[in-house]
Amino acid sequence: MWTDEGEGKVLYVQTHGVTDPGRCATPFFLAASAAAMEVEVGIYFTMYGPTLLQKDVVDKIGPKGDQGMPLAHFIKQATDLGVRLYVCQPSLELNDLALEDLIDGVEMIGGAAFNDMAMRADAVVSF
Amino acid sequence: MPITETPAQVLDCKGLQCPMPVIKTAQAIKTIEPGQVLELLATDPGVEPDMKAWSSRTGNELLAIDQEGEVFHVFLRRNG
Repeated sequence: MWTDEGEGKVLYVQTHGVTDPGRCATPFFLAASAAAMEVEVGIYFTMYGPTLLQKDVVDKIGPKGDQGMPLAHFIKQATDLGVRLYVCQPSLELNDLALEDLIDGVEMIGGAAFNDMAMRADAVVSF
Repeated sequence: MPITETPAQVLDCKGLQCPMPVIKTAQAIKTIEPGQVLELLATDPGVEPDMKAWSSRTGNELLAIDQEGEVFHVFLRRNG
């Protein structure tokens, strides 16, 4: 949830998952850039998005190019700058996942919290 | 306007792609004192619009961007 400590708020929404690696990293790039601008940033993973956050997946996939860096590198780059990661329970169930299957630091929210974050954000960018 | 001040730090981001120059600049500017100058070297072709946006958002002053061949020299003064 927003702390209102940044110079603005941007919420990214990632709906694509492991079957589409070319779409896996860009939200993390943009989120990291926003965080570097002292903006408060969250990424909400829904539909197939939560599959990208699996502990046993983040080191195995990555975008094309980028010297072969795995997705885990770009996730850490974003979270080190303060980007926060959110999922919701129905999206986990859709992908047969539990919160324990995901990397540390992912926060669980629900539809009401997501909509509140969206309405309070300066921009919502959906992928 | 030529920059006569010696930068407190030179950050070499040559060869790095978006968003690395922005991220490294944001980290580096916090390691110099307010009022000091950071010089960023970058070859990313988007560095000029990126640094204009980043500096106006963060309140750090963009003093100049000089291009020398493929290399952009970006001079930023940390806000105080």
